[in-house]
Amino acid sequence: MTLVNDFSVLEKNGFKLLPYRLAKNEEEAVAAAGKIGYPVALKIVSPQIEHKTDVGGVRLDIKNEERLRQDFRDVIQNAAGKQIEGVLVQKMARRGVELIIGGKKDPQFGHMVVLGLGGIYVEIFRDVSARICPLVDGDVEEMIAELKTHPLLEGARGKKPIDRKMLKQLVLKVCSFMQKEDIKEMDLNPVVFDDQGCDIVDVRFSR
Amino acid sequence: MEKKVKNLKRVFEPKSVAIIGASATPNKIGNVLLRNFIDARFDGKLFAINPKYAEISGVRCYASVSDVREKIDLAIVATPAETVPGIVEECANRGVGGVIILSGGFEEIGRVDLADRIAKAAEKADMPVVGPNCLGVYNPYTKVDSVFLPSYKLERPKAGGIAFITQSGAVGSTVMDLAAYYGLGISKFISYGNGTVLDESDYLEYLMGDKETEVIILYIEGARDGRKMLEAMKKVNKVKPIVALKAGKGMGGQAAARSHTGNIAGSYMAYQAAFKQAKVTEAGGIDEIFDFVRVFNQPKPKGKRVGVITNGGGLGVLVTDYIEESGLVMAKFSEQTMNELKKILPPYGTVANPLDLVADAGVEEYEKAIDAFMKDPGIDALVVIVLLQTPPIDERVIHVLSKAVDEKKKPIVTVSVGGSYTEAYMKILEGKGVPSYSSPQAAVKALDKLITYSKYLEQLKNQTQTNKADFNQAPR
Repeated sequence: MTLVNDFSVLEKNGFKLLPYRLAKNEEEAVAAAGKIGYPVALKIVSPQIEHKTDVGGVRLDIKNEERLRQDFRDVIQNAAGKQIEGVLVQKMARRGVELIIGGKKDPQFGHMVVLGLGGIYVEIFRDVSARICPLVDGDVEEMIAELKTHPLLEGARGKKPIDRKMLKQLVLKVCSFMQKEDIKEMDLNPVVFDDQGCDIVDVRFSR
Repeated sequence: MEKKVKNLKRVFEPKSVAIIGASATPNKIGNVLLRNFIDARFDGKLFAINPKYAEISGVRCYASVSDVREKIDLAIVATPAETVPGIVEECANRGVGGVIILSGGFEEIGRVDLADRIAKAAEKADMPVVGPNCLGVYNPYTKVDSVFLPSYKLERPKAGGIAFITQSGAVGSTVMDLAAYYGLGISKFISYGNGTVLDESDYLEYLMGDKETEVIILYIEGARDGRKMLEAMKKVNKVKPIVALKAGKGMGGQAAARSHTGNIAGSYMAYQAAFKQAKVTEAGGIDEIFDFVRVFNQPKPKGKRVGVITNGGGLGVLVTDYIEESGLVMAKFSEQTMNELKKILPPYGTVANPLDLVADAGVEEYEKAIDAFMKDPGIDALVVIVLLQTPPIDERVIHVLSKAVDEKKKPIVTVSVGGSYTEAYMKILEGKGVPSYSSPQAAVKALDKLITYSKYLEQLKNQTQTNKADFNQAPR
């Protein structure tokens, strides 16, 4: 139950996550989606699956029960042979700019926080900036300015600028959470931002 | 400041020095050390320590430091590792001001036990210890020189304002050699090796209060204590600019499969973050160290509007490109400047920034143009390109440029591109404190670093003023 456990620890620490439920079977998934409200996403939860998307363990933007039932079966089938803890039913995230906010404990400098363009290409583009915790006023602004893709956050191509205040708060929160709980590594990835706020879609951390 | 750090003064400015392991055999380290002090005419007392001799090169030799009845400020140790802890303990008991240990064979080969004894003895006596496993210290002001590379092989720089802290002896010595070659002046050279007793942060702190030091170069492979270094950098960089070079940027061994951040953020990223948070100027290599430190002797600009003077159109365009690329601004001339400049230019010239004086320009034109730029409040900094190959330019240009620099009104960087004739001129200019670059890109980059640092200082000043105002307005 590592994933759900991670989710609830973060919630207890004041991170507002997208509404989710862990479903053990199809009926539970249907009930969960009813509670959460469509559209939803399904994600396989297995300690043996690292990249869920790569094995067909993710279905997005499910708008009704009929689709949900079919997608649930698909996701389970694609994970055949693996140890399955359940399927995560999650409120579908807003559309917007996908960022990664993460951190790690450096052996020399202690906790550091990292901000970057998120999603599945984060390791390819490596467009990230980092600071040593704790941060002072202005550090997050500098981190944003350092990103090559920062025009995306400022509203490129007719989009509205993202909720910068929320971004700053979240970066600071990651910093203080890591220090308080002595976290070894963590990722909020992706966090989807638009002008109204953000959705934290996936989280992972280790102590 | 910690007492040990404060006591470094006796290491850098000793009245008496003991060379432990002094030797009469030429080219032995113990002999090079002694020669360093004799040849440089060190004006304090010199004691050689070695039971084998009664005297070396006219310096009286003692069996041990305990046999010296007079006060010893600095002891330099170049004996085998096994003997060093005992010697350090003896120095501590005897009240020696500080010790430089050149010998290797401690932590770096796993002999932590020997290092621990050194640390303990130093701690007890508040005695600073530089090293072990290092080149030690060079101070051109007092002629203290524990660098055991003979000066005919490794030139010593003249006295100046640049301090250099280095973990590595090899990089340290080459930088020192280059500094001498470029005509740059050094305030203190510190190679601290294993940093057993004092580390990079301690030396930063000492240099902050060192009156000869104006700018600090920090070459780091791995900090002994990253957090401490970050705090020290923050504190010191507010007072004296630090130019840092981090070696070992590899991401090897950083992989942690579960987390993206773990994959991306290697240890170098943490160093980079620390440099940014301390507003330290990071150099990308040895070349950039020299590019950057040269400019920090210039007055702090008030803004980022740059005026460019050239006698070659093409280089003016290149410099303009780099200025715009780096986010600096090409200055607009005031009306008065426009009028002055019109008088300087030939009838076919155009008054514009970059100001092309054309190849006919002589030294007088440069002088007048620089003068006009200095007076224009819309110009914060100057890039002066001088192609020394044109017929009208002669050695008087050195005087014009160094005079402009000496007046310390606005920062100036000069660019001259050319072969050995040009290079010879540039060395003279550099020797007179005129930042001279053979690459337009390097010149602009250095100026940009100075402007960024000046802006940071300005912000600090404003913050303190706001804080003071807040305090004054606060209800009592």
